[in-house]
Amino acid sequence: MAIDVTEEVDHTDDTVAGALADIDPQRALRGTAGLLAFVVVWWLASLAQPSYVLPSPVAVGATFYTEATSGGMLTALWNSTLHWVPGAFFGTGLGIAAGVALAWSPLLDDLTSPVVRVLRPVPPLALIGFAIAWVGINHAGAAFIIAIGAFWINFYATYGGVEGVSEDLLDVARSLGVQGDLELIKAVVLPAALPEITTGIRTGIGRCWMLVVASEIFGVAGIGRRILRASNNLQVDVVITYILVLSLMFLLVDVAFRTLQRRALAWR
Amino acid sequence: MAVEDPTETPRVRIDGVGKQYDSAQGPVQALDDVTFDVEAGEFVCIVGPSGCGKTTLFRIIAGLEAPTNGTVSLDGDPVDGPGPDLGLVFQEYHLFPWRTVAGNVGFGLEKTDTVDSGERRRRVQELVDLVGLDGFEDSYPRDLSGGMKQRVALARALAVDPGLLLMDEPFGAVDAQTKKMLQDELLDIWTETGKTILFVTHDVEEAVKLADRVVVMAKEPGRVREVVDVDIERPRNRSDDAFGTHYQRLLDLIQE
Repeated sequence: MAIDVTEEVDHTDDTVAGALADIDPQRALRGTAGLLAFVVVWWLASLAQPSYVLPSPVAVGATFYTEATSGGMLTALWNSTLHWVPGAFFGTGLGIAAGVALAWSPLLDDLTSPVVRVLRPVPPLALIGFAIAWVGINHAGAAFIIAIGAFWINFYATYGGVEGVSEDLLDVARSLGVQGDLELIKAVVLPAALPEITTGIRTGIGRCWMLVVASEIFGVAGIGRRILRASNNLQVDVVITYILVLSLMFLLVDVAFRTLQRRALAWR
Repeated sequence: MAVEDPTETPRVRIDGVGKQYDSAQGPVQALDDVTFDVEAGEFVCIVGPSGCGKTTLFRIIAGLEAPTNGTVSLDGDPVDGPGPDLGLVFQEYHLFPWRTVAGNVGFGLEKTDTVDSGERRRRVQELVDLVGLDGFEDSYPRDLSGGMKQRVALARALAVDPGLLLMDEPFGAVDAQTKKMLQDELLDIWTETGKTILFVTHDVEEAVKLADRVVVMAKEPGRVREVVDVDIERPRNRSDDAFGTHYQRLLDLIQE
């Protein structure tokens, strides 16, 4: 058949153009200006305060350098990573699995929905007692707290994504020979819900960095522990240093994940 | 044309199909005693006014909904759910947005273990060529026009070699010019593949242009008013007298 369909194509921007559009020079410039202004305001504010209330950016910079070169920062970061990674990993995995299962099966959804409603509002910190009693004051205990946080975010994101999968796409898949729940989930549900699922993962891993501080409250070593100890000693420069470390870790992981996400969702 | 041989099992037999819904105002009879056959290789259109239950009938034949009464059978076997015996093409395309053109067309082939990957690629390429989309194998649906999306949907349905191609107003969402082109292509593909096609439309002209036979439906309750043979040589031209006569006849039946 000789049909010319070329003219029918919509030339929407592809992924490369999309990625480049992200680095808008004007936005980057404004962002830099805003950051500089923030540091200047901070510096001016610090002039009138004693350093245990608000240290100057320069003092924080010096502390950051000392912590980074003494090895203290690396140790704290490594310790936090040892519970951040398993916590984020298992929380995310279980959250996605539970979200798919409950959104897919009305039976499971009905059975679990009262329990889910009871457990949902419990803040991860309230479970520290259980973490200590069941797992102990160690990386696994801290990972448990982090996992709880990741779990709910991923659970709800996935649940919403799976619920939104079009019945029509499932019908088409069935008409093309896809049979059984597992096959349908693999062939249609997961790819169709991937935008929501990956947004959940991204939000969740960010939340996990915040929970790192909370999870170390009961004595597990890491960045959070370092922040809490420095707070007790009124070492505000150290506190800010490790807050910056958390922010940088968050930024690093977030950018890395966003790159993966963009690649996985190139079809959008 | 239909082969009138009572001893032979038709490709599709729709036998006394009825569908009743419960609504707030009480039960609604959407379909009542719909009966007709489609022979292998035949092109049959279903036309009718809106509300006559065309889409309900489509969904029942496709196995997506169960009838309240009656049966639908394909080559003598009752249809009890969607499956690769029935290729579905919808007005809204329903392509898998995360798959490329080739990925969409190959979807059904991946589910059958009988074809290896080399054979699958060859078959996908064949189908992509058949619907005139060579060069667009790696495009995603978001980059395609409506007409192109419907070609992909058609190729995807044909990939599993279904006994019946069931189409629900497939060209209802594209512009007039593309529609005409797609109709011609569909007739070419039908001639080339010898598929049995059951095609739902509200467009009488489309029915006269495409079908061997037209099932005219009436509403309240949705039922078969008449089955009209369209004995016009192809390619059909709407300026021909015979075309006009059939067109008028169908229009009168629908508006009765």
